[in-house]
Amino acid sequence: MNDYIVEMTNITKSFGDVKAVVDGQFNLKKGEIHSLIGENGAGKSTMMKMLYGIYPNDSGTIKIKGKEVQGLTPNIAIKDGIGMVHQEFMLVNELTVLENIILGFEPTKNITIDFDKAKKEIQKYIDTYNMDIQPGKKINQIPLGEAQRVEIIKTLYRGAEIVILDEPTAVLTPQETVKFFEILNSMKADGKSIVFISHKLKEVMEISDRITVMRDGQYMNTVNKEDTDIDELAKLMVGREVFLNVKKKDVVVGETVLKIDNLWTSGEKELSKIKGISLDVKQGEILGIAGIDGNGQSELIEAITGLRKVEKGKVILDGEDITNKSPLKIRKSGMTHIPEDRNIRGLNRKLSIKDNMIAVKIDKKPYSKGLVLNNKEIDSFTKDLIERFDVRPTNPEILTEALSGGNAQKIVVAREVDADGKLLIASQPTRGVDIGAIESIRKILNEVKANGKGIILVSADLDEILSLSDRIAVMYEGKITGILDAKNGNENNIGLLMMGGKLGHNDSEDIGGNL
Amino acid sequence: MVKRRTFITTKSPNKYINLLLTTLVSILIGAVIMLALGHNPIEAYIQLFKGAFVGKLNLGTTLQKFAPLLLTSLAFATAARAGVFNVGVEGELYLGAIAAAWIGYTFTSLPGPILILLCMVVAALVGAAWSYIPSSLKAYLGVNEVCVTILMNYVALYITSYLVNGPLSAKTGVPQTPTVAAGAKLAQFMKPSQANMGLFIAIGVAVLVYWILNKSTLGYKFTTVGLNPLHAEYIGIKPEKSIINSMFLSGAIGGIAGAIEVLGTYGYFLDNFSSGMAFDGMLAALIVKNDIKMVPFMAFFLAVLKSGALGMERYTGVPKSVVDTIIAVFIIFATMEALFAFLQKRKAKLVEEQI
Repeated sequence: MNDYIVEMTNITKSFGDVKAVVDGQFNLKKGEIHSLIGENGAGKSTMMKMLYGIYPNDSGTIKIKGKEVQGLTPNIAIKDGIGMVHQEFMLVNELTVLENIILGFEPTKNITIDFDKAKKEIQKYIDTYNMDIQPGKKINQIPLGEAQRVEIIKTLYRGAEIVILDEPTAVLTPQETVKFFEILNSMKADGKSIVFISHKLKEVMEISDRITVMRDGQYMNTVNKEDTDIDELAKLMVGREVFLNVKKKDVVVGETVLKIDNLWTSGEKELSKIKGISLDVKQGEILGIAGIDGNGQSELIEAITGLRKVEKGKVILDGEDITNKSPLKIRKSGMTHIPEDRNIRGLNRKLSIKDNMIAVKIDKKPYSKGLVLNNKEIDSFTKDLIERFDVRPTNPEILTEALSGGNAQKIVVAREVDADGKLLIASQPTRGVDIGAIESIRKILNEVKANGKGIILVSADLDEILSLSDRIAVMYEGKITGILDAKNGNENNIGLLMMGGKLGHNDSEDIGGNL
Repeated sequence: MVKRRTFITTKSPNKYINLLLTTLVSILIGAVIMLALGHNPIEAYIQLFKGAFVGKLNLGTTLQKFAPLLLTSLAFATAARAGVFNVGVEGELYLGAIAAAWIGYTFTSLPGPILILLCMVVAALVGAAWSYIPSSLKAYLGVNEVCVTILMNYVALYITSYLVNGPLSAKTGVPQTPTVAAGAKLAQFMKPSQANMGLFIAIGVAVLVYWILNKSTLGYKFTTVGLNPLHAEYIGIKPEKSIINSMFLSGAIGGIAGAIEVLGTYGYFLDNFSSGMAFDGMLAALIVKNDIKMVPFMAFFLAVLKSGALGMERYTGVPKSVVDTIIAVFIIFATMEALFAFLQKRKAKLVEEQI
């Protein structure tokens, strides 16, 4: 006998022809925080979904508390003390926090729900783990970080001893993450076992006791935190050395390329999502825009690129007023744009690599003349881009929907960088792509900058912002809460600005704050 | 090796086998229906085949029916490429037809070939202009084109009805226009059938449309807009423009279809002559999911069914509406296939998300 409360050995799982997990090994001790790491598609979520009974495993054994279980379903898993917090929260927006927590497991008094009893029990968790939530509020009235705590309490309320957290920090600011880790530690102290799925190595090193690495559906290794470091983990994950922190190139900053003056624009729901933003970007500079998703970054970019109507204010690109011009005109003025969602805006997934690469040049010589396409030129152009930007597979006729996230993104990057504009907007350029592609996309952005272009980099990944930007603007609720020189930026002061806070003047040169 | 450029890469090679199977099953179901009605299906199909192919009259009629079907199915597929569901080809056909008839009997002094060309061009322009109403409504105001085009078919039909009973009437007691100049008539062949040179015009148009849709910048833009308008907008292709242009092309083809009927088959515009020609074309395009390479074959197949049905009814007593039933079964299968594809896609997407 050993002291593992979960043991998964020799697990395999295929979806149709796709082998998601080839050789999965995972075990969990009682009272530990065990990280499961790997790139997108490495099979880590699949492993845990098998443990939670969402998918049956094809072969291999799963033991929970020493007993082998077969035909696991989520219901059985919950009874066995397993709880899972998914990447996308499974909460009912229109119900209150309290109702969500007890949903399906309501304590009853005769035939009515005993809310008092439920409240008391939930208060117990709130007190023990110091998780502040507001049981009376509806889910759509609380912030994401709180919704996550609700999810965790939900699993605990259902009697979970083992809590699986799938990429939990993706929605949190650095400060929220710190607090979140405190909660995890107090849960650990209380004897709960936690599986932490992530690909953020820094956080993994901070919180874990042990770490299991997966690559391409395969178990690589399990290590104690004390015996490893970030570099080793990255190497295990990717299979080679990676250099994510590209060295910033010092480029002589030139003229202002883009000037945004008191910009107002509407959102999907609100009338004014962007409330008076002023920014400027110079040649040879990367301006990072940090902020939690949904604070108006998307709307700002759409307004600049002509995809959303500007209500008020001016956008000036290299001296030319492009406010409310058509996307085509704006492109012609020298704007290039890597959009945040490659599957919707960035690519036409039903078209081939070639058709996607030529998209912005379809009306340009020598690729076409009038109505007639010059296929020879288009083919050689595509081949050249595929080679230069290392897109795989290299067959230009393959539909882009068949490509991995990283390669699909490289097509967008290749097309926009090759278009050679004055300004490049890179919105979430490395979201959902593998580490290899992250590395090369960051390198490309730096090269573009070295060529004297201006770049706006919007990213939810603060590390990315910090490692690439020369200046950092932080957005909160449609406004800029501060613009810092990258030298003065760190997780603390940017995190504070991300939550709408204000910096003292000692912290940094706070210019252009709009609070 | 560089493959030929087509915007939509064929996904599964068994698409054609699928269609063949669908055809067979539809025919089988047709046979079952005939059995249920107390007829001998084998005999009926033999007569249907004979009615479509054997003898000058029969084969000629098939070809004569094929020409407008080919054009109307292309018209539908063209708009569909840009994501527009154009049910209005029937209206475009009527208006194109009456325009061609008017030109044909008014400018009689022009030499034949020029007159024919003029008829065709004006018919195309009229059809295109008519299509601008639904296309601009859709592009700029987001009005659903299906609704508008269906309703506008009636408007077009009644306009022609009024004209042919009033200002443009030949005053013969039959609602028709005067006969066009002899030079404007398209030469007929395989008499006594009404097969005419319009067939070759239709084939020419088909080749042109194929080139435009699959090999030109215009076709690229249609395709991009049809598949993903958000992407098109971002890339700098105006979805509005492509929607309108594809409808112009679609309307023009519809107009030419009408002109061919007037100049080739009748020699004049006859009130209510089409009786749903464009809808048959739409069905042909829908069955092959607007695959421009397959549209001609499906249009031909429907022409065979339609013209063979007459012979079948005459010799075996099987009502020719059975043929419509077969076509309907066809549509059901084609839709079901789309349903399966959708389910499969959803499954694939789930798998993708799961990993």
